[in-house]
Amino acid sequence: MKRLGWRRWLILIAFLLAASVAGLFVVRTVRRAVYWSRHRDEAIRPWMSVAYVAHSYRVPPHVLYRAVNLTPVPHDRRPLREVAREQNRPLEELTADLEKAIGEFRAHPERYPPPPPQPDGGKTR
Amino acid sequence: MNLSDYLLATLGVYGLPVLFGALLVGSAGVPLPASLLLVAAGSFVNQGELDLWPVLALSAAGAVLGDQVGYAVGRWGGRRLTRRLGGLVGGEQKIADAEEWLKRRGGLGVFLSRWLLTPLGPVVNLTAGASEYPWPRFLLFDVLGEALWVALYVLLGKLFSDRVQEMSDLLGDLTWAILGLVAAAVLGLILFKQLREPEPR
Repeated sequence: MKRLGWRRWLILIAFLLAASVAGLFVVRTVRRAVYWSRHRDEAIRPWMSVAYVAHSYRVPPHVLYRAVNLTPVPHDRRPLREVAREQNRPLEELTADLEKAIGEFRAHPERYPPPPPQPDGGKTR
Repeated sequence: MNLSDYLLATLGVYGLPVLFGALLVGSAGVPLPASLLLVAAGSFVNQGELDLWPVLALSAAGAVLGDQVGYAVGRWGGRRLTRRLGGLVGGEQKIADAEEWLKRRGGLGVFLSRWLLTPLGPVVNLTAGASEYPWPRFLLFDVLGEALWVALYVLLGKLFSDRVQEMSDLLGDLTWAILGLVAAAVLGLILFKQLREPEPR
């Protein structure tokens, strides 16, 4: 085998480093793709608004607004963290209420009638 | 709440100005989760909270402006530094060779680092400026690449509007995987060529 000079050693090390990074992220990408295909819901995060959670979990927004005692008019775009702070309770508790309401809606969607028509023609969610 | 959560929450409340500002600052080199914001903006478009065209136009404008900041810093600040460090990488001739190569092939590098190899974007901006890559050509490839990046990520966000966080995480890992593979391929090729030549003394 040829003796490698310092420049070739450097290139070899850089190559091995790049290959390791590539391998690591290929594995992570595949794992995420597999997780994606097996799970329908993404975890509720502090940045999400109630409207986004409703959209993400395919639940009518009024069901979730009612579950956390919010008025859906005008449309509330605040993140959950801010809602929790305003209601003076931990974010985890608010998230648990949302998850419970989602579970109940999915188990018995017939128990949730559509909301009354909005005064602004239903532009708010 | 981490930085990503904070930016997403602010985007949800204030909309377009946050998107424009974050893309400008992010493209100039400050590490912000710009791709995540684009995916989220796409989701907000799908939910009817933001309009598609203003999102596309302002995002691309912010990103292109941020890139010009990086280019300008490289051009007027990096030039001196490059000359000073020149001795370490092989002297003036090596730098001149590298600049010549960049002038011939740089367009592709600028274009690809806008949308496919995004982590390289800020470094490419600085390098393009420092090597005095012609600005009109830089701007052309920059606008093309950023337009593609913005359209791609916003439309993916619109399409997978219910899974913003997961979509963005997946794209982030995929980007680094592609970057790693490209770097490994280029370095592997250089190594292969070097091993076929005798070691210079």
